[in-house]
Amino acid sequence: MSHRLASGGRLDRTRRLRFTFDGRSYVGHAGDTLASALMANGVRLVGRSFKYHRPRGILTAGPDEPSALVELRAGARREANMPMPVVELFDGLEAQSQNRWPSLAFDILSVNSLLSRFLPAGFYYKTFMWPAAFWEKVYEPLIRRSAGLGWAAKEADPDHYETRHAHCDVLVAGSGAAGLAAARIAAEAGARVILCEQDFELGGGLLLDPALEDWRAATVAALARQSEVTLLPRTTVFGYYDSNVLGAVERVADHLAEPPEHQPRQRYWTIRAREVVLATGAHERLIAFPGNDRPGVVLAGAALSYLRRFAVAPGKRAVVFTNNDEAYDTALALREAGVEIAAIADVRPAAVRADEARRAGIDVRSGSVVTGVGGGRDVERVTVARRNGADGESLAADLLCVSGGHSPAIELASQSRTPLDWSDAIAGFVPGQPVQRQRSAGAARGIFGVAEAASDGATAGRAAVAALGLGKTEAIALPPAVARAGTPSEPFWEVKASGKAFVDLQHDVTTEDIRLAHREGYAHIEHAKRYTTHAMATDQGKTGGLVGAAVLAEARGESIAAVGMPTYRPYASPVSFGVIAGHAVGKNFAPVRRTALHAWHVRHGARFMEAGMWMRPAYYPQPGEEKDAWLSVLREARAVRRAVGICDVSTLGKIDVQGKDAGVFLDRLYTNTFSTLPIGRARYGLMLREDGIVFDDGTTSRLADDHFFMTTTTANAARVLEHMEYHAQTVWPELDVQFCAVTDHWASMSAAGPKARLALAKAVQGLDLANAAFPFMAVGDAQVAGCPVRVFRISFSGELAYEVATPAGFAEPVWEAIMAAGAEHGITPYGVEALGLLRIEKGHVAGAELGGHTTARDLGLERMLKKNGDYVGRVLAGRPGLVAPERPRLVGLRPVDPKARLRAGSHLVAAVGDGQSLGWVTSAMPSVELDCWIGLGMLSGGEAWHDKRLFAAFPLYDEYVEVAVTHPHHVDHENARVRA
Amino acid sequence: MPVSAPEPRSPLVQALKPGRHGAVGARQVTLRAYRRSLVQLQARKGRAADLATAVRQGLGLALPPPGRAETSPTLAAIWIQPSAWLLCAPYLAEGDLARSVRAAVGSAGAVVDQTHGKSVLRLSGPTARAVLETGCRIDLHPRAFAPGQAAATPVGHIDCILRQLDNAPSYELIVASTLAEAFVDWLLHAAAAYGCEVLPPD
Amino acid sequence: MHRIDCPWCGVRDEIEFAYRGDATVKRPEAGAGVDAFYAYVYERGNPRGWHIEWWHHAAGCRQWIKVLRHTLTHEIRATAKAGDTVTAPKP
Repeated sequence: MSHRLASGGRLDRTRRLRFTFDGRSYVGHAGDTLASALMANGVRLVGRSFKYHRPRGILTAGPDEPSALVELRAGARREANMPMPVVELFDGLEAQSQNRWPSLAFDILSVNSLLSRFLPAGFYYKTFMWPAAFWEKVYEPLIRRSAGLGWAAKEADPDHYETRHAHCDVLVAGSGAAGLAAARIAAEAGARVILCEQDFELGGGLLLDPALEDWRAATVAALARQSEVTLLPRTTVFGYYDSNVLGAVERVADHLAEPPEHQPRQRYWTIRAREVVLATGAHERLIAFPGNDRPGVVLAGAALSYLRRFAVAPGKRAVVFTNNDEAYDTALALREAGVEIAAIADVRPAAVRADEARRAGIDVRSGSVVTGVGGGRDVERVTVARRNGADGESLAADLLCVSGGHSPAIELASQSRTPLDWSDAIAGFVPGQPVQRQRSAGAARGIFGVAEAASDGATAGRAAVAALGLGKTEAIALPPAVARAGTPSEPFWEVKASGKAFVDLQHDVTTEDIRLAHREGYAHIEHAKRYTTHAMATDQGKTGGLVGAAVLAEARGESIAAVGMPTYRPYASPVSFGVIAGHAVGKNFAPVRRTALHAWHVRHGARFMEAGMWMRPAYYPQPGEEKDAWLSVLREARAVRRAVGICDVSTLGKIDVQGKDAGVFLDRLYTNTFSTLPIGRARYGLMLREDGIVFDDGTTSRLADDHFFMTTTTANAARVLEHMEYHAQTVWPELDVQFCAVTDHWASMSAAGPKARLALAKAVQGLDLANAAFPFMAVGDAQVAGCPVRVFRISFSGELAYEVATPAGFAEPVWEAIMAAGAEHGITPYGVEALGLLRIEKGHVAGAELGGHTTARDLGLERMLKKNGDYVGRVLAGRPGLVAPERPRLVGLRPVDPKARLRAGSHLVAAVGDGQSLGWVTSAMPSVELDCWIGLGMLSGGEAWHDKRLFAAFPLYDEYVEVAVTHPHHVDHENARVRA
Repeated sequence: MPVSAPEPRSPLVQALKPGRHGAVGARQVTLRAYRRSLVQLQARKGRAADLATAVRQGLGLALPPPGRAETSPTLAAIWIQPSAWLLCAPYLAEGDLARSVRAAVGSAGAVVDQTHGKSVLRLSGPTARAVLETGCRIDLHPRAFAPGQAAATPVGHIDCILRQLDNAPSYELIVASTLAEAFVDWLLHAAAAYGCEVLPPD
Repeated sequence: MHRIDCPWCGVRDEIEFAYRGDATVKRPEAGAGVDAFYAYVYERGNPRGWHIEWWHHAAGCRQWIKVLRHTLTHEIRATAKAGDTVTAPKP
């Protein structure tokens, strides 16, 4: 049975669009929404409610829809909770109803409705409290099955989403009469304008009146001609943030089955606006009465929209229930479209429009209300009675149009911190004095009527132009005002009669639930909202939010103004996770930082590990090692101890420091002294935070009297630079020091092992590497394969080692030349895992020991603290708590049983089962030198425990490993190798 | 005998293959890598005026104020920090620019070679601004940003030095070399909707 | 999200900056003793109202700048270079 009118509407009737709903095929037209197309096909039952599984239909014609939510599309593109009235119809659209099982018509869980007296507000909080373990295993799955909305797709989203950063002089949100006028004024003044409209057609309420089409079309065309105007239909402004930054989502391809190639599905706009005009219109309010959620109950303005814009008759015989004049337009339009008007129930005792309607032959019952709705799953009968309950009459009707008045759409204004003022004239909240550079216009501030809104929009546009200082504005044509006698609306919220009267259709919140919340002490609007779930979720209570507040106000015996509304926060309308993530998904979640040798590592089969943004080779598996990474790691580390290895250490932070005061500056940053460092020498440095805790370490070399080259750990490179900038700019601005990061300019590689000199000497030209000529901590310039290099004789592994740095573009030829020179000595590339193993053997501290909780003394580095002179952290490092003898100190650890494994994170205890932790294992690895696991740890008492035994406890696995406590230097305690 | 240095390798050679990417259409952009010598120049304490004079006399260029770039036929200077500039010239030989700048500025400035630390790209074409707006948070509208203007600002996730060259519009983007491949990966994705022609490196 | 007017670069998004905190504390002289350094590192007024604070333009000019921000409303009233003086309005 078609409800499509023979003519009219903004449809392209030549374009037939096939779609399915719950597997059944239907046909609609271009210009339809899913809601209008289903309505045209006579489908009224479209969903089941959240808690009680009550049958639900289409209440609205816009994004305020609480009930008609569907899952759209299938497979990886399935999307839940899409309001039917904003789903633009496309050929091949698939939609499924939600929250019903096994089918929409026969929903087993609608038995919840019969149990509803046991499911009041706060039910979940009260019932599912105990035992706690039951929550996760029993209650939550049960609740999720019985109460809920749609299901998200489990597959990865195949579409991509774009981010767009925009700037404009004037952002206009909403393209009704007010928005179009404001945009036009601003555009004519030469402003850069962005006009956002959530609908796929610009015009808002203008789309409902053919008489206004000329003005709408001319205004839109004039805007489109302006090169500085960006018109964004299908774009919802969802958030208003500080500094006049607004967020919007453009649904670029939601109206297509799939996005065209290379086009995003949606676009996330971050708009920085100098001035904003909020022309977001108003939300029509429901009235709470028993059965106000039944399919066939439609808001009066929405019914007008279905008639005029979509050429659909939402029923055959209607009752109209109103507290205002606007609903009479709906009644007349319905009648004109051939829908019989059974009656108009007007809560007001008298109204001019009521008299007019009576003269036109309509049965208007003034001072009357709807007290109930009868029928199976949808509206079949409507009971109309006097406000005191008298003279009730059950009228046959399949459509009940309701209007409780209009609430300005104040979500965005409120998010911008604009206070909300109560208006008695419209019985609603309107935006007060703006805080940001913003103003509301038209229905968004309670100025109703097309001509009035357009005029108000033009005023707002002129105010924005004036605030921008753009000079004079042109006059523009506005729709003519229509003088018409009217009667003020009467605030009216609830019909108190027997049965469930809903204030929130999406979450099944009734007037009784609100009163229960009040009785139980949740009388503040924010508490009542959370206790009852009123005005939450996808529709944010746009149709019933104020009604709930009014019910609460009555319960509290106060005015609605005193009760207020819950705080409005982004998102004003739902936004998909996909568009928030944008391009930053999967491998693009964060940028990958690659060293200049990355391609070499890839070609040689390296397994990579992440270190911050860096990808570093963890190890290089060789044939036969694929199944056991330890084989690779141990082989690589063994090569360093016995022959020579080479490691890419380009990720270390490098900072070039220059200036007359560079030495003084470094003396103040490090605990030790650099101003005395000879040119051509490097020195290990330790840096503290001002609170006395170790911050970072690294070697710094002196290249000239006023020129140093600093290195930092990979992890702290950015923080150290920021620390230096803070001190140079704010603490000691008088110092002559210039520095900048050169991490990326230099690639560096460490050649380490007893054969390192033999290998390097063959590759390096222009530098004598003999021990006497180039001793430990020497620095010198040279060439390798014709490329400039700087050689540092420094060691992290504890072996004879050289760090070779070269401008990054030469990294590969230099690395290859050293590889070739070292081939006869078995030179072996080694990764971060072997590097870690080697430094643990050597007892060098790294991230696990420099975790922001250790002092220099804790790490056995107290000799690094100079006695004289100021440096960051000096004073607070001397606090009693930081020098207390019982503080954990760095020790070495070895299992007594050479086959036992040591686990980082284990606690050190005196006996099996002992609950008293004396310290913990910070790092552990199998040793290549000692043929057992070794570790480093922080142990209270430190060296007092040397050569004694403890247990490394890991209670999670019930592990207790007996360990011997040693000096942290597991190998070469005398430090002879590095000087060999 | 010392052998001469090979041509330095740019990380963009691997990442930026010449050819068409994304949509095919009339509104596409071109993207090209440029081999440049780069030097960071910073005034010694209290020597900013001396430095400006030295650069003007020795290099024939006025050091630009904040937010701007100055160019001569062979050299560009981009303001990056108070009393600090990035100088940019075609790559001739290793260390060439740093040597000549050092000679020109003497004790008035600190000179740091950044040739290998940063990678230079140019994006050009009628939709270049739209492409950048998918990741660039500053206003690139002609009323706000024009040839000769420059900014240090992130584009996508990656910090950039951005300057406008002409009204094509063409933009130069200078990024850390270790992030150049990631940046190009992002940029080609951003440009896919309009189409992008990657030209062989300059 | 804030938009912060960097005295060097102009108005930029908050994402380009890193926050540090109170910009009115001064690092004591080397010999000032533990209490003075303790106050410098730890003691903060945590005002409800105007707050002069350090922000680092990390993704821009790398300068530490002073920002006068209202901790209740988030309004940013003024920004200044590190060496400049910023005065908070009377509460």
